[in-house]
Amino acid sequence: MIFDFVTRSLRSPSVLVPVEELFANSLGSRMPDARAEALNEAIAQRVVASCGLSALTMDDADGRMTLSLDYGRCTGCGKCIEAGEGAFYLANQLPCGVSRQALIRRWDLTRGTEILADEEAMTATAKEIRSIVGGALNIRQVDGGSCNGCEAEISALSNPYYDLERFGIHFVASPKHADMLLVTGPITNNMAEAVKRTYEATPAPKLVVAVGACGCSSGIFANSPAVYGSIDSVIPVDAYIPGCPPTPAMLLTGILRTLRHK
Amino acid sequence: MTTNLTTRSAEGTAENALMLLHGSNARLVTIFGSVDTSGAKRVHYIADVNREYRCISVPVTGALPSATLISPAAAWHERELHEQYGIEITGHPDLRPLFSHTADYRFLQVQGVGVCELPVGPVHAGIIEPGHFRFSIVGDSVLHLEPRLFYTHKGTEKLFEGAAIMNAPALAESVSGDNCFAHAVACSQSIENAFGISVPPRGRAIRLLGLELERMIAHIGDVGALCGDVGCSVPAAYNSRIKESLLQASAHCFGTRYWRGMAIPGGVRRDLSAENARKFGNAVAHAVADFAGMARIILDTPSVQNRFEETGILSNKIARDLGAVGPVARSSSVRIDVRHDHPYGHYRKITVEVPHFSQGDVLARARMRMEETRVSARLIQETINELAAGIISTPVPLDGSAEGFSAVESPRGELLYWIRIHNGRVMRCHIKSPSFQNWPCLPFAVEGNISADFPLINKSFNLSYSGCDR
Repeated sequence: MIFDFVTRSLRSPSVLVPVEELFANSLGSRMPDARAEALNEAIAQRVVASCGLSALTMDDADGRMTLSLDYGRCTGCGKCIEAGEGAFYLANQLPCGVSRQALIRRWDLTRGTEILADEEAMTATAKEIRSIVGGALNIRQVDGGSCNGCEAEISALSNPYYDLERFGIHFVASPKHADMLLVTGPITNNMAEAVKRTYEATPAPKLVVAVGACGCSSGIFANSPAVYGSIDSVIPVDAYIPGCPPTPAMLLTGILRTLRHK
Repeated sequence: MTTNLTTRSAEGTAENALMLLHGSNARLVTIFGSVDTSGAKRVHYIADVNREYRCISVPVTGALPSATLISPAAAWHERELHEQYGIEITGHPDLRPLFSHTADYRFLQVQGVGVCELPVGPVHAGIIEPGHFRFSIVGDSVLHLEPRLFYTHKGTEKLFEGAAIMNAPALAESVSGDNCFAHAVACSQSIENAFGISVPPRGRAIRLLGLELERMIAHIGDVGALCGDVGCSVPAAYNSRIKESLLQASAHCFGTRYWRGMAIPGGVRRDLSAENARKFGNAVAHAVADFAGMARIILDTPSVQNRFEETGILSNKIARDLGAVGPVARSSSVRIDVRHDHPYGHYRKITVEVPHFSQGDVLARARMRMEETRVSARLIQETINELAAGIISTPVPLDGSAEGFSAVESPRGELLYWIRIHNGRVMRCHIKSPSFQNWPCLPFAVEGNISADFPLINKSFNLSYSGCDR
């Protein structure tokens, strides 16, 4: 009965994960990071060859040999970690809630250093929304054709460990109530029109966050004729969260980071 | 052989296949097409006859007689065949396309005084996958429901073609993300079966841990979501917490929440330390005890009983006619379970209890998930207690050519992969997902109910859109 539910619930200790722990944590994402000082051309060639999704690429355009890792394509298959002779390892922290460009890491192979980009400024839309709603963001989740792996993890944001509502953030039932669309992909041919119309039904100012490898880049479905493309091929995207699927900690980081709440 | 022991494949004619389906002990599993290297089309019929998988391959020379009139379970399979392979099917009552969404698609029109049409979707009001539902209602009562799916169709079967066999499980994992491990294992088993390879005992045992964990996670989450749908929010939140505790234990012990990247043809990729095996066993024991306590309170709650009982009844006849599988079938007295009927891997060494219910309503499906969670936890404990030592995988030929199929019992039911390999690359991969078979059952369970109960009934089936649409 209701009383039994409440008693049982009250007796159990809190499992809420502190926000600091979530921000520094990509446990379970399986995605790689690299030790800049351990990288060289031979290792770079091996890891590039091991990657079936072209997430890892080599380039010598600026007169220096660089290795790029695009988290927007990476599914965390782990092949680069196996091929990387210790230079690659499971990432502790990943860029979430950033621009598409900021999902790409670059290393200078001759110097053994990471090429760091400048910190990105907050977008004008994000500033405007933040000035209106503060932290009380309303999110509409839209599935543009995903495998439901991202949905499983987005649903987990509401459980007592992550409790998205503690930040004043809610999932709403209609795009008309939303400040942010949290979209998963890849966008299939059959969903392209529905995603466009959902975007149009959302009042401005509005933010769009693309979720998952498929949302960022079409992922493993990039070459399918049944797939229209990544989310930004259909509607404008403000920020990206990588992963296959992103863990709840990464999703939460990405949502808060888009508004520079952290 | 590592996989389902009782399989038999043969050449035949469409008449042979139809004769096979005519038998009272035959259950249609799947029908699909293939094109071989010379460009010749074939149609493959797989049926379960007295707990034996029988596959009949038929060369296509012209139109084929429809199996739908003998076994209505064939209806969607033949629609897919017609649409994707351009094969004429004579006598099929409805050959409208499933995958290509054209503007001239006609829904069945229900006519009469006061009949309204209620369109819902593809974008739904929650964190769920897209699909369209066309209700014909009078007042609150649903007269007819027609789902129009395949919004998440990603051409996945086609993407398998040309993939190296070791990369195939990664594609399988993205057919239905919440059952990704069942898909990866079914895909791997079909490759192992094709080459006659046996997975080492420790690899088989670790696969069982993942498959049963996936079932527990799915069922605990579903029972919570059902409570949420009837406004019983405390158990909904509580169950989401139990589910998360299992996901975190999995991330801690295996490095992955949903077991992506774990299964490979020949075994599994990561081993389990004795320490982590113990920790994982404890987490499962704690979760199942916690869930059992919550399940008792849920079933004793009058408001839950009132909403669950006699809602969304799927009759035994419809379930049989449409070839329903998994917990949905077992809640309507159809006692089938791949783990029991066609044991594979470690299930051959362990007794699987198969709970079943006869009422076919939301309550039966909820109780089914509660019972199966208990069984899964027991299977995990038994397997951990006697975890075999040794290697976790065995090599598979990387440039071989072969054909094979295999099934697993995913949390949603029978999941079958059929694969043709040429020089180490996939030539054709067919996926029979449990959701594809169970979706056509849903409208029959909804008819006569009030439209406001649809989300509850739909949740009690918990079908995968992406798994069905592929």
